Amino acid sequence: MDIREKGYSHWQGELKASRSNWLPIFFNGIKSVFKKKFAKVIFAFSGSTFVIFLLAVYVSTKPELKILSELVRLLKSDADLFKTFYSNGFLTFMLVILSIFSGADLISSDLKFKAFPLYFARPLSRTDYLLGKFSVILFYLLLFTLVPGILLLLFKMIFTGSLAVSPLLVLAILAFPLLECVFLASLTLALSILSPNTKFIQIAVFLVYMFSNNLAQILKAIFKSDRFFIISLQSNLEQLASFLFGLQPKYGYPGWLALLPPVAVSLLAFWLLSWRIKKAEARS
Amino acid sequence: MKEIIQLENISFSYGRVQAIRDLSLNLPAGIFGLLGPNGAGKTTLLKLLLGFLVPTAGKGEIMGFALSKKRKSLRRGIGYMPESECSIPGMDAVSLTAYLGELSGMPRQEAMKRAHDVLYYVGLDESRYRLVDTYSTGMKQRLKLAQALVHDPKLLLLDEPTSGMDPAGRKEMLELIQDIAKKESMNIIISSHLLPDIESTCRQVVIMNKGRIAAEESIADLKKDNFRLFEIKLVGEQAPFFKRLQALRCQVQENEKSMFKILLPAEILPTALFDAAYETGVQIRHFRQSKTTLEDAFMNVIRESDGY
Repeated sequence: MDIREKGYSHWQGELKASRSNWLPIFFNGIKSVFKKKFAKVIFAFSGSTFVIFLLAVYVSTKPELKILSELVRLLKSDADLFKTFYSNGFLTFMLVILSIFSGADLISSDLKFKAFPLYFARPLSRTDYLLGKFSVILFYLLLFTLVPGILLLLFKMIFTGSLAVSPLLVLAILAFPLLECVFLASLTLALSILSPNTKFIQIAVFLVYMFSNNLAQILKAIFKSDRFFIISLQSNLEQLASFLFGLQPKYGYPGWLALLPPVAVSLLAFWLLSWRIKKAEARS
Repeated sequence: MKEIIQLENISFSYGRVQAIRDLSLNLPAGIFGLLGPNGAGKTTLLKLLLGFLVPTAGKGEIMGFALSKKRKSLRRGIGYMPESECSIPGMDAVSLTAYLGELSGMPRQEAMKRAHDVLYYVGLDESRYRLVDTYSTGMKQRLKLAQALVHDPKLLLLDEPTSGMDPAGRKEMLELIQDIAKKESMNIIISSHLLPDIESTCRQVVIMNKGRIAAEESIADLKKDNFRLFEIKLVGEQAPFFKRLQALRCQVQENEKSMFKILLPAEILPTALFDAAYETGVQIRHFRQSKTTLEDAFMNVIRESDGY
Protein backbone atom coordinates (compact mmCIF):
# COMPACT_ATOMS: atom_id res chain seq x y z
CA MET A 1 0.00 0.00 0.00
CA ASP A 2 1.28 3.45 -0.83
CA ILE A 3 2.29 5.37 2.26
CA ARG A 4 -0.07 8.24 1.53
CA GLU A 5 -3.01 5.87 1.40
CA LYS A 6 -2.46 4.85 5.00
CA GLY A 7 -2.74 8.45 6.16
CA TYR A 8 -1.54 9.99 9.39
CA SER A 9 -3.90 9.61 12.31
CA HIS A 10 -3.91 11.59 15.52
CA TRP A 11 -3.62 10.01 18.95
CA GLN A 12 -6.78 10.53 20.94
CA GLY A 13 -5.29 10.31 24.43
CA GLU A 14 -3.92 12.99 26.69
CA LEU A 15 -0.28 13.38 27.71
CA LYS A 16 0.19 13.40 31.46
CA ALA A 17 2.52 15.69 33.34
CA SER A 18 4.19 13.61 36.02
CA ARG A 19 6.78 14.16 38.71
CA SER A 20 8.09 10.65 38.17
CA ASN A 21 9.21 11.12 34.58
CA TRP A 22 12.33 9.12 35.44
CA LEU A 23 10.33 5.92 36.06
CA PRO A 24 10.29 4.70 32.41
CA ILE A 25 14.10 5.03 32.37
CA PHE A 26 14.25 3.02 35.60
CA PHE A 27 11.99 0.22 34.33
CA ASN A 28 13.72 0.10 30.97
CA GLY A 29 17.14 -0.04 32.65
CA ILE A 30 16.07 -2.85 34.99
CA LYS A 31 14.78 -4.86 32.04
CA SER A 32 17.83 -4.35 29.87
CA VAL A 33 20.28 -5.30 32.67
CA PHE A 34 18.28 -8.44 33.38
CA LYS A 35 18.37 -9.41 29.69
CA LYS A 36 22.17 -9.16 29.52
CA LYS A 37 24.34 -12.19 28.99
CA PHE A 38 25.72 -13.59 32.31
CA ALA A 39 23.14 -11.61 34.33
CA LYS A 40 21.90 -14.68 36.13
CA VAL A 41 25.44 -15.91 36.90
CA ILE A 42 26.37 -12.55 38.43
CA PHE A 43 23.13 -12.40 40.37
CA ALA A 44 23.69 -15.94 41.65
CA PHE A 45 27.21 -15.11 42.86
CA SER A 46 26.02 -11.86 44.43
CA GLY A 47 23.22 -13.66 46.25
CA SER A 48 25.43 -16.52 47.44
CA THR A 49 26.67 -14.50 50.44
CA PHE A 50 23.11 -14.20 51.67
CA VAL A 51 22.57 -17.96 51.41
CA ILE A 52 25.73 -18.68 53.45
CA PHE A 53 24.81 -16.13 56.11
CA LEU A 54 21.25 -17.41 56.24
CA LEU A 55 22.66 -20.85 56.89
CA ALA A 56 24.95 -19.40 59.56
CA VAL A 57 22.02 -17.67 61.25
CA TYR A 58 20.11 -20.94 61.20
CA VAL A 59 23.07 -22.90 62.56
CA SER A 60 23.67 -20.36 65.33
CA THR A 61 20.15 -21.05 66.61
CA LYS A 62 20.73 -24.81 66.49
CA PRO A 63 23.83 -25.57 68.60
CA GLU A 64 23.50 -29.29 67.83
CA LEU A 65 24.49 -28.67 64.18
CA LYS A 66 28.22 -28.67 63.49
CA ILE A 67 28.31 -27.29 59.96
CA LEU A 68 29.63 -23.74 59.55
CA SER A 69 30.48 -23.71 63.25
CA GLU A 70 33.69 -21.70 62.52
CA LEU A 71 31.73 -18.94 60.85
CA VAL A 72 29.09 -19.03 63.57
CA ARG A 73 31.78 -18.62 66.26
CA LEU A 74 33.01 -15.45 64.51
CA LEU A 75 29.55 -13.92 64.63
CA LYS A 76 29.52 -13.17 68.33
CA SER A 77 26.66 -10.70 68.19
CA ASP A 78 23.94 -9.50 65.84
CA ALA A 79 26.01 -6.39 65.09
CA ASP A 80 28.95 -8.65 64.20
CA LEU A 81 26.74 -10.77 61.99
CA PHE A 82 25.38 -7.86 59.97
CA LYS A 83 28.70 -5.98 59.86
CA THR A 84 30.41 -9.10 58.53
CA PHE A 85 27.60 -9.77 56.08
CA TYR A 86 27.65 -6.26 54.63
CA SER A 87 31.39 -5.60 54.55
CA ASN A 88 32.86 -8.99 53.74
CA GLY A 89 35.37 -8.89 50.91
CA PHE A 90 33.44 -11.19 48.61
CA LEU A 91 30.20 -9.21 48.75
CA THR A 92 32.05 -5.91 48.21
CA PHE A 93 33.85 -7.46 45.23
CA MET A 94 30.53 -8.70 43.82
CA LEU A 95 28.97 -5.27 44.35
CA VAL A 96 31.77 -3.71 42.32
CA ILE A 97 31.19 -6.31 39.60
CA LEU A 98 27.44 -5.65 39.80
CA SER A 99 28.04 -1.88 39.48
CA ILE A 100 30.19 -2.49 36.42
CA PHE A 101 27.64 -4.90 34.98
CA SER A 102 24.54 -2.81 35.57
CA GLY A 103 25.88 0.73 35.37
CA ALA A 104 29.06 1.13 33.32
CA ASP A 105 27.16 1.45 30.05
CA LEU A 106 24.16 3.37 31.34
CA ILE A 107 25.33 6.79 30.21
CA SER A 108 28.36 5.82 28.13
CA SER A 109 26.18 3.97 25.61
CA ASP A 110 23.91 7.02 25.36
CA LEU A 111 27.05 9.01 24.59
CA LYS A 112 28.19 6.44 22.05
CA PHE A 113 24.86 6.18 20.25
CA LYS A 114 24.09 9.91 20.62
CA ALA A 115 20.83 9.20 22.42
CA PHE A 116 20.63 12.54 24.25
CA PRO A 117 18.50 14.33 21.62
CA LEU A 118 15.98 11.49 21.92
CA TYR A 119 15.79 11.89 25.69
CA PHE A 120 15.96 15.64 26.02
CA ALA A 121 13.43 16.35 23.28
CA ARG A 122 10.95 14.83 25.76
CA PRO A 123 9.52 16.52 28.83
CA LEU A 124 12.46 15.20 30.80
CA SER A 125 14.76 17.31 32.96
CA ARG A 126 18.42 16.56 33.45
CA THR A 127 17.60 15.50 37.02
CA ASP A 128 14.93 13.07 35.74
CA TYR A 129 17.45 11.55 33.36
CA LEU A 130 20.14 11.15 36.02
CA LEU A 131 17.65 9.90 38.61
CA GLY A 132 16.40 7.28 36.15
CA LYS A 133 19.90 6.03 35.40
CA PHE A 134 21.03 6.22 39.03
CA SER A 135 18.00 4.26 40.23
CA VAL A 136 18.91 1.34 37.94
CA ILE A 137 22.30 0.73 39.59
CA LEU A 138 20.92 1.49 43.02
CA PHE A 139 18.13 -1.05 42.53
CA TYR A 140 20.52 -3.91 41.73
CA LEU A 141 22.98 -2.97 44.47
CA LEU A 142 20.25 -2.71 47.11
CA LEU A 143 18.76 -5.97 45.88
CA PHE A 144 21.91 -7.76 47.03
CA THR A 145 22.60 -5.74 50.18
CA LEU A 146 19.61 -4.08 51.81
CA VAL A 147 17.05 -6.70 50.78
CA PRO A 148 19.07 -9.70 52.03
CA GLY A 149 20.02 -7.68 55.14
CA ILE A 150 16.35 -7.18 56.01
CA LEU A 151 15.58 -10.81 55.13
CA LEU A 152 18.43 -11.98 57.40
CA LEU A 153 16.97 -9.95 60.25
CA LEU A 154 13.51 -11.42 59.66
CA PHE A 155 14.82 -14.98 59.43
CA LYS A 156 16.85 -14.46 62.59
CA MET A 157 13.68 -13.39 64.35
CA ILE A 158 11.86 -16.44 62.99
CA PHE A 159 14.65 -18.89 63.90
CA THR A 160 15.12 -17.50 67.43
CA GLY A 161 11.43 -16.91 67.93
CA SER A 162 12.16 -13.47 69.37
CA LEU A 163 11.25 -10.02 68.12
CA ALA A 164 13.76 -8.28 70.40
CA VAL A 165 16.10 -6.18 68.28
CA SER A 166 17.95 -2.97 69.01
CA PRO A 167 16.59 0.06 67.09
CA LEU A 168 20.19 1.20 66.51
CA LEU A 169 20.94 -2.14 64.89
CA VAL A 170 17.93 -1.77 62.59
CA LEU A 171 19.07 1.75 61.72
CA ALA A 172 22.57 0.47 60.94
CA ILE A 173 21.11 -2.41 58.86
CA LEU A 174 19.28 0.19 56.75
CA ALA A 175 21.88 2.96 56.72
CA PHE A 176 25.04 1.05 55.78
CA PRO A 177 23.80 -0.55 52.54
CA LEU A 178 22.22 2.76 51.53
CA LEU A 179 25.49 4.64 52.04
CA GLU A 180 27.52 1.90 50.36
CA CYS A 181 25.19 1.60 47.37
CA VAL A 182 24.78 5.34 46.82
CA PHE A 183 28.58 5.63 46.89
CA LEU A 184 29.15 2.80 44.40
CA ALA A 185 26.28 3.87 42.14
CA SER A 186 27.36 7.50 41.97
CA LEU A 187 31.00 6.53 41.38
CA THR A 188 30.02 4.19 38.53
CA LEU A 189 27.64 6.69 36.95
CA ALA A 190 30.19 9.52 37.20
CA LEU A 191 32.76 7.35 35.42
CA SER A 192 30.13 6.28 32.89
CA ILE A 193 29.60 9.85 31.73
CA LEU A 194 33.29 10.37 31.03
CA SER A 195 33.59 8.25 27.91
CA PRO A 196 31.45 6.63 25.21
CA ASN A 197 33.72 3.58 25.50
CA THR A 198 31.99 1.20 27.91
CA LYS A 199 35.03 -1.12 28.14
CA PHE A 200 37.09 1.80 29.37
CA ILE A 201 34.50 2.60 32.06
CA GLN A 202 34.36 -1.03 33.19
CA ILE A 203 38.13 -1.13 33.55
CA ALA A 204 38.16 2.26 35.30
CA VAL A 205 35.63 1.18 37.95
CA PHE A 206 37.54 -2.02 38.59
CA LEU A 207 40.84 -0.13 38.77
CA VAL A 208 39.42 2.24 41.39
CA TYR A 209 38.52 -0.79 43.48
CA MET A 210 41.85 -2.60 42.98
CA PHE A 211 44.14 0.39 42.93
CA SER A 212 42.67 2.00 46.07
CA ASN A 213 43.37 -1.21 47.99
CA ASN A 214 46.85 -1.65 46.60
CA LEU A 215 47.80 1.97 47.14
CA ALA A 216 46.63 1.78 50.76
CA GLN A 217 48.77 -1.34 51.27
CA ILE A 218 51.82 0.35 49.74
CA LEU A 219 51.38 3.51 51.83
CA LYS A 220 50.90 1.40 54.96
CA ALA A 221 54.14 -0.45 54.23
CA ILE A 222 56.07 2.81 53.67
CA PHE A 223 54.69 4.88 56.52
CA LYS A 224 53.87 2.03 58.93
CA SER A 225 50.40 3.44 59.55
CA ASP A 226 47.09 1.83 58.80
CA ARG A 227 45.38 5.24 58.58
CA PHE A 228 45.97 5.08 54.86
CA PHE A 229 43.26 2.44 54.61
CA ILE A 230 40.87 5.36 54.44
CA ILE A 231 41.66 5.51 50.71
CA SER A 232 40.95 1.80 50.23
CA LEU A 233 37.42 1.21 48.97
CA GLN A 234 37.12 -2.20 50.64
CA SER A 235 38.87 -1.40 53.93
CA ASN A 236 37.16 1.95 54.41
CA LEU A 237 33.76 0.32 53.93
CA GLU A 238 34.73 -2.20 56.61
CA GLN A 239 35.72 0.65 58.92
CA LEU A 240 32.44 2.42 58.15
CA ALA A 241 30.47 -0.74 58.91
CA SER A 242 32.26 -1.13 62.25
CA PHE A 243 31.41 2.47 63.09
CA LEU A 244 27.73 2.20 62.16
CA PHE A 245 27.26 -1.16 63.93
CA GLY A 246 29.00 0.20 67.06
CA LEU A 247 31.95 -2.21 66.88
CA GLN A 248 35.65 -1.70 67.54
CA PRO A 249 37.20 -0.03 64.44
CA LYS A 250 39.66 -2.27 62.63
CA TYR A 251 42.00 0.50 61.43
CA GLY A 252 43.78 3.32 63.24
CA TYR A 253 41.51 6.22 62.33
CA PRO A 254 38.20 7.32 63.84
CA GLY A 255 35.18 5.39 62.59
CA TRP A 256 33.24 8.55 61.71
CA LEU A 257 36.08 9.61 59.41
CA ALA A 258 35.22 6.58 57.24
CA LEU A 259 32.05 8.43 56.24
CA LEU A 260 34.10 11.10 54.55
CA PRO A 261 35.34 9.29 51.38
CA PRO A 262 31.95 7.85 50.32
CA VAL A 263 30.14 11.12 51.02
CA ALA A 264 32.82 13.22 49.29
CA VAL A 265 32.98 10.89 46.27
CA SER A 266 29.18 10.86 45.97
CA LEU A 267 28.96 14.66 46.14
CA LEU A 268 31.78 15.05 43.64
CA ALA A 269 30.13 12.49 41.36
CA PHE A 270 26.79 14.33 41.44
CA TRP A 271 28.49 17.62 40.66
CA LEU A 272 30.37 16.04 37.75
CA LEU A 273 27.23 14.35 36.46
CA SER A 274 25.13 17.50 36.51
CA TRP A 275 27.90 19.53 34.85
CA ARG A 276 28.53 16.98 32.10
CA ILE A 277 24.85 16.32 31.45
CA LYS A 278 24.18 20.04 31.07
CA LYS A 279 26.87 20.13 28.40
CA ALA A 280 25.52 16.99 26.77
CA GLU A 281 22.01 18.47 26.58
CA ALA A 282 23.34 21.62 24.92
CA ARG A 283 25.24 19.48 22.41
CA SER A 284 22.16 17.33 21.68
CA MET B 1 -3.77 33.85 12.66
CA LYS B 2 -2.21 32.96 15.99
CA GLU B 3 1.54 32.58 15.86
CA ILE B 4 3.04 29.31 17.06
CA ILE B 5 6.54 30.75 17.27
CA GLN B 6 7.31 34.27 18.38
CA LEU B 7 10.92 35.19 18.85
CA GLU B 8 12.08 38.66 19.74
CA ASN B 9 15.72 39.76 19.40
CA ILE B 10 17.11 36.34 20.27
CA SER B 11 20.88 36.00 20.43
CA PHE B 12 23.05 33.05 21.25
CA SER B 13 26.78 32.43 21.13
CA TYR B 14 29.03 29.42 21.56
CA GLY B 15 31.80 31.12 23.48
CA ARG B 16 33.09 33.83 21.19
CA VAL B 17 31.24 32.56 18.15
CA GLN B 18 27.92 34.34 17.71
CA ALA B 19 25.59 31.70 16.27
CA ILE B 20 22.30 33.64 16.45
CA ARG B 21 22.28 37.43 16.20
CA ASP B 22 19.34 39.52 17.30
CA LEU B 23 16.89 37.20 15.57
CA SER B 24 13.18 38.01 15.49
CA LEU B 25 10.72 35.62 13.94
CA ASN B 26 6.95 35.21 13.94
CA LEU B 27 5.65 32.02 12.41
CA PRO B 28 1.94 31.28 12.13
CA ALA B 29 0.58 27.74 12.03
CA GLY B 30 1.62 25.73 9.00
CA ILE B 31 4.61 24.08 7.42
CA PHE B 32 7.84 26.01 7.00
CA GLY B 33 11.18 25.25 5.44
CA LEU B 34 14.25 26.46 7.28
CA LEU B 35 17.05 27.08 4.82
CA GLY B 36 20.55 28.36 5.10
CA PRO B 37 24.14 27.55 4.25
CA ASN B 38 26.33 25.60 6.68
CA GLY B 39 26.85 27.53 9.88
CA ALA B 40 23.83 29.78 9.26
CA GLY B 41 22.40 28.87 12.68
CA LYS B 42 19.54 26.56 11.64
CA THR B 43 20.34 23.75 14.06
CA THR B 44 21.10 26.25 16.83
CA LEU B 45 17.69 27.81 16.25
CA LEU B 46 16.01 24.38 16.54
CA LYS B 47 17.95 23.72 19.75
CA LEU B 48 16.80 27.06 21.14
CA LEU B 49 13.20 26.19 20.28
CA LEU B 50 13.55 22.88 22.12
CA GLY B 51 15.18 24.51 25.13
CA PHE B 52 18.46 22.58 24.70
CA LEU B 53 20.13 25.98 24.62
CA VAL B 54 19.23 29.11 26.52
CA PRO B 55 19.41 32.38 24.56
CA THR B 56 21.93 34.91 25.82
CA ALA B 57 19.51 37.72 24.98
CA GLY B 58 15.94 38.19 23.84
CA LYS B 59 12.71 36.43 24.62
CA GLY B 60 10.18 34.28 22.87
CA GLU B 61 7.15 32.06 23.05
CA ILE B 62 6.44 28.75 21.41
CA MET B 63 2.84 27.58 21.36
CA GLY B 64 2.21 29.98 24.22
CA PHE B 65 5.05 28.71 26.43
CA ALA B 66 7.90 31.02 27.32
CA LEU B 67 11.12 29.99 25.63
CA SER B 68 13.59 28.14 27.92
CA LYS B 69 11.30 28.51 30.92
CA LYS B 70 8.43 26.05 30.61
CA ARG B 71 10.67 23.47 28.99
CA LYS B 72 8.74 20.38 30.08
CA SER B 73 5.37 21.73 28.94
CA LEU B 74 6.94 22.95 25.73
CA ARG B 75 8.60 19.65 24.88
CA ARG B 76 5.37 17.78 25.52
CA GLY B 77 4.00 19.50 22.43
CA ILE B 78 7.08 19.14 20.24
CA GLY B 79 8.26 16.20 18.18
CA TYR B 80 11.91 16.40 17.22
CA MET B 81 13.66 14.42 14.52
CA PRO B 82 17.39 15.07 15.04
CA GLU B 83 19.86 15.31 12.20
CA SER B 84 22.48 13.07 13.77
CA GLU B 85 22.20 9.31 13.68
CA CYS B 86 20.97 8.52 17.16
CA SER B 87 19.39 5.53 18.83
CA ILE B 88 19.17 3.63 22.07
CA PRO B 89 21.02 0.34 21.59
CA GLY B 90 19.70 -3.07 22.49
CA MET B 91 16.07 -2.21 21.78
CA ASP B 92 13.76 -3.13 18.94
CA ALA B 93 11.94 -0.36 17.10
CA VAL B 94 8.60 -0.89 18.77
CA SER B 95 10.05 -0.94 22.30
CA LEU B 96 12.15 2.13 21.56
CA THR B 97 9.24 4.10 20.12
CA ALA B 98 6.93 3.08 22.97
CA TYR B 99 9.64 3.92 25.53
CA LEU B 100 10.06 7.40 24.09
CA GLY B 101 6.27 7.79 24.02
CA GLU B 102 6.18 6.92 27.70
CA LEU B 103 8.88 9.48 28.40
CA SER B 104 6.66 12.04 26.66
CA GLY B 105 3.89 11.30 29.16
CA MET B 106 1.86 8.59 27.44
CA PRO B 107 0.46 5.71 29.50
CA ARG B 108 2.50 2.55 28.90
CA GLN B 109 -0.14 0.53 27.04
CA GLU B 110 -1.22 3.48 24.95
CA ALA B 111 2.42 4.18 24.07
CA MET B 112 2.89 0.60 22.91
CA LYS B 113 -0.26 0.69 20.78
CA ARG B 114 0.65 4.03 19.28
CA ALA B 115 4.22 2.82 18.60
CA HIS B 116 2.81 0.05 16.40
CA ASP B 117 0.64 2.58 14.57
CA VAL B 118 3.38 5.10 13.82
CA LEU B 119 5.88 2.40 12.81
CA TYR B 120 3.26 1.07 10.39
CA TYR B 121 2.70 4.60 9.14
CA VAL B 122 6.40 5.25 8.42
CA GLY B 123 6.75 1.89 6.69
CA LEU B 124 8.62 -0.06 9.36
CA ASP B 125 5.78 -2.43 10.19
CA GLU B 126 7.59 -5.55 9.05
CA SER B 127 10.85 -4.78 10.81
CA ARG B 128 9.45 -3.32 14.01
CA TYR B 129 10.68 -6.23 16.14
CA ARG B 130 14.23 -6.00 14.78
CA LEU B 131 16.97 -4.47 16.91
CA VAL B 132 17.48 -0.86 15.86
CA ASP B 133 21.26 -1.47 15.85
CA THR B 134 20.75 -3.57 12.72
CA TYR B 135 18.76 -0.93 10.82
CA SER B 136 20.01 0.71 7.63
CA THR B 137 20.42 4.50 7.45
CA GLY B 138 17.09 4.88 5.66
CA MET B 139 15.29 2.76 8.26
CA LYS B 140 16.88 4.78 11.04
CA GLN B 141 15.57 7.97 9.43
CA ARG B 142 12.06 6.51 9.37
CA LEU B 143 12.42 5.41 12.98
CA LYS B 144 13.49 8.93 13.94
CA LEU B 145 10.34 10.25 12.31
CA ALA B 146 8.22 7.62 14.10
CA GLN B 147 9.62 8.55 17.52
CA ALA B 148 8.97 12.22 16.78
CA LEU B 149 5.34 11.41 15.93
CA VAL B 150 4.58 8.89 18.67
CA HIS B 151 3.08 11.40 21.12
CA ASP B 152 1.22 13.25 18.34
CA PRO B 153 2.94 16.61 18.82
CA LYS B 154 1.53 19.94 17.76
CA LEU B 155 4.87 21.11 16.43
CA LEU B 156 7.18 18.84 14.49
CA LEU B 157 10.82 19.88 14.07
CA LEU B 158 12.56 17.91 11.34
CA ASP B 159 16.29 18.40 11.00
CA GLU B 160 17.51 17.11 7.62
CA PRO B 161 14.78 14.43 7.40
CA THR B 162 16.03 12.85 4.16
CA SER B 163 19.71 12.83 5.03
CA GLY B 164 21.43 9.64 3.89
CA MET B 165 18.33 8.17 2.21
CA ASP B 166 18.25 6.59 -1.24
CA PRO B 167 16.04 8.28 -3.89
CA ALA B 168 13.07 5.95 -3.30
CA GLY B 169 13.29 6.32 0.46
CA ARG B 170 13.67 10.07 0.13
CA LYS B 171 10.57 10.25 -2.03
CA GLU B 172 8.59 8.25 0.53
CA MET B 173 9.86 10.40 3.40
CA LEU B 174 8.78 13.55 1.57
CA GLU B 175 5.37 11.98 0.87
CA LEU B 176 5.02 11.23 4.56
CA ILE B 177 5.85 14.82 5.47
CA GLN B 178 3.36 16.10 2.90
CA ASP B 179 0.74 13.78 4.34
CA ILE B 180 1.41 14.91 7.92
CA ALA B 181 1.28 18.52 6.77
CA LYS B 182 -2.29 17.95 5.54
CA LYS B 183 -3.39 17.68 9.16
CA GLU B 184 -4.12 21.25 10.04
CA SER B 185 -3.43 20.76 13.72
CA MET B 186 0.18 19.77 13.03
CA ASN B 187 2.77 22.49 12.45
CA ILE B 188 6.06 21.54 10.88
CA ILE B 189 9.45 23.15 10.53
CA ILE B 190 11.84 21.38 8.19
CA SER B 191 15.48 22.31 8.26
CA SER B 192 17.31 21.08 5.19
CA HIS B 193 20.17 21.74 2.84
CA LEU B 194 18.25 20.02 0.07
CA LEU B 195 16.25 22.73 -1.60
CA PRO B 196 14.10 20.34 -3.70
CA ASP B 197 12.97 18.71 -0.43
CA ILE B 198 11.82 22.06 0.88
CA GLU B 199 10.25 23.01 -2.43
CA SER B 200 8.23 19.80 -2.53
CA THR B 201 6.92 20.02 1.02
CA CYS B 202 6.66 23.68 2.01
CA ARG B 203 5.05 26.82 0.70
CA GLN B 204 6.79 29.14 3.12
CA VAL B 205 10.49 29.38 3.85
CA VAL B 206 12.68 31.06 6.39
CA ILE B 207 16.19 31.62 5.08
CA MET B 208 18.95 32.10 7.60
CA ASN B 209 22.41 33.44 7.00
CA LYS B 210 25.11 34.16 9.58
CA GLY B 211 22.72 33.79 12.49
CA ARG B 212 20.13 36.19 11.10
CA ILE B 213 16.90 35.85 9.16
CA ALA B 214 17.77 36.72 5.56
CA ALA B 215 14.25 36.18 4.20
CA GLU B 216 10.88 34.96 5.42
CA GLU B 217 8.29 34.58 2.70
CA SER B 218 6.48 32.17 0.41
CA ILE B 219 8.54 30.22 -2.10
CA ALA B 220 6.42 31.65 -4.93
CA ASP B 221 7.12 35.24 -3.86
CA LEU B 222 10.75 34.46 -3.31
CA LYS B 223 11.07 33.14 -6.86
CA LYS B 224 9.23 35.91 -8.56
CA ASP B 225 10.43 38.84 -6.50
CA ASN B 226 13.39 41.05 -6.94
CA PHE B 227 15.21 39.50 -9.87
CA ARG B 228 15.04 37.75 -13.21
CA LEU B 229 17.25 34.93 -14.27
CA PHE B 230 19.05 34.75 -17.63
CA GLU B 231 21.38 32.20 -19.10
CA ILE B 232 24.07 33.58 -21.37
CA LYS B 233 27.08 32.29 -23.28
CA LEU B 234 30.02 34.61 -23.65
CA VAL B 235 32.90 34.92 -26.02
CA GLY B 236 35.71 37.33 -25.24
CA GLU B 237 37.36 38.85 -22.14
CA GLN B 238 34.84 38.21 -19.37
CA ALA B 239 36.36 40.06 -16.39
CA PRO B 240 35.45 43.64 -17.43
CA PHE B 241 31.95 42.48 -18.35
CA PHE B 242 31.40 40.94 -14.91
CA LYS B 243 32.84 44.04 -13.24
CA ARG B 244 30.27 46.06 -15.07
CA LEU B 245 27.49 43.68 -14.08
CA GLN B 246 28.58 43.88 -10.46
CA ALA B 247 28.14 47.64 -10.64
CA LEU B 248 24.57 46.97 -11.80
CA ARG B 249 24.04 44.69 -8.69
CA CYS B 250 23.75 41.61 -10.90
CA GLN B 251 24.84 38.23 -9.60
CA VAL B 252 26.77 35.83 -11.78
CA GLN B 253 27.06 32.07 -11.42
CA GLU B 254 29.11 29.95 -13.83
CA ASN B 255 27.19 26.90 -15.03
CA GLU B 256 29.71 25.39 -17.42
CA LYS B 257 32.50 26.71 -19.58
CA SER B 258 31.45 30.15 -20.90
CA MET B 259 27.82 29.57 -19.81
CA PHE B 260 26.63 31.80 -17.00
CA LYS B 261 23.49 32.41 -14.95
CA ILE B 262 22.85 36.10 -14.44
CA LEU B 263 20.48 37.25 -11.71
CA LEU B 264 19.25 40.63 -12.83
CA PRO B 265 17.55 42.97 -10.33
CA ALA B 266 13.89 43.51 -11.26
CA GLU B 267 14.29 47.25 -11.86
CA ILE B 268 17.02 46.78 -14.48
CA LEU B 269 16.05 46.03 -18.04
CA PRO B 270 17.61 43.00 -19.80
CA THR B 271 18.98 45.35 -22.48
CA ALA B 272 21.44 46.52 -19.84
CA LEU B 273 23.23 43.20 -20.34
CA PHE B 274 23.71 43.89 -24.06
CA ASP B 275 24.83 47.45 -23.30
CA ALA B 276 27.40 46.10 -20.86
CA ALA B 277 28.59 43.54 -23.41
CA TYR B 278 28.93 46.19 -26.10
CA GLU B 279 30.85 48.52 -23.79
CA THR B 280 33.26 45.82 -22.59
CA GLY B 281 33.77 44.16 -25.97
CA VAL B 282 32.34 40.72 -25.31
CA GLN B 283 29.90 38.81 -27.49
CA ILE B 284 26.74 37.26 -26.16
CA ARG B 285 26.30 34.09 -28.21
CA HIS B 286 23.38 32.67 -26.27
CA PHE B 287 20.69 34.51 -24.33
CA ARG B 288 17.69 32.91 -22.68
CA GLN B 289 15.42 33.89 -19.83
CA SER B 290 15.37 30.99 -17.44
CA LYS B 291 12.78 29.76 -14.95
CA THR B 292 13.97 30.64 -11.46
CA THR B 293 14.32 27.76 -9.08
CA LEU B 294 14.32 27.89 -5.31
CA GLU B 295 18.07 27.40 -5.49
CA ASP B 296 18.46 30.59 -7.56
CA ALA B 297 16.20 32.49 -5.19
CA PHE B 298 18.08 31.08 -2.22
CA MET B 299 21.47 32.06 -3.67
CA ASN B 300 20.12 35.52 -4.39
CA VAL B 301 18.91 35.98 -0.81
CA ILE B 302 22.18 34.71 0.64
CA ARG B 303 24.26 36.97 -1.59
CA GLU B 304 22.06 39.95 -0.82
CA SER B 305 22.33 39.32 2.89
CA ASP B 306 26.10 38.96 2.52
CA GLY B 307 26.07 42.47 1.08
CA TYR B 308 27.01 41.69 -2.52
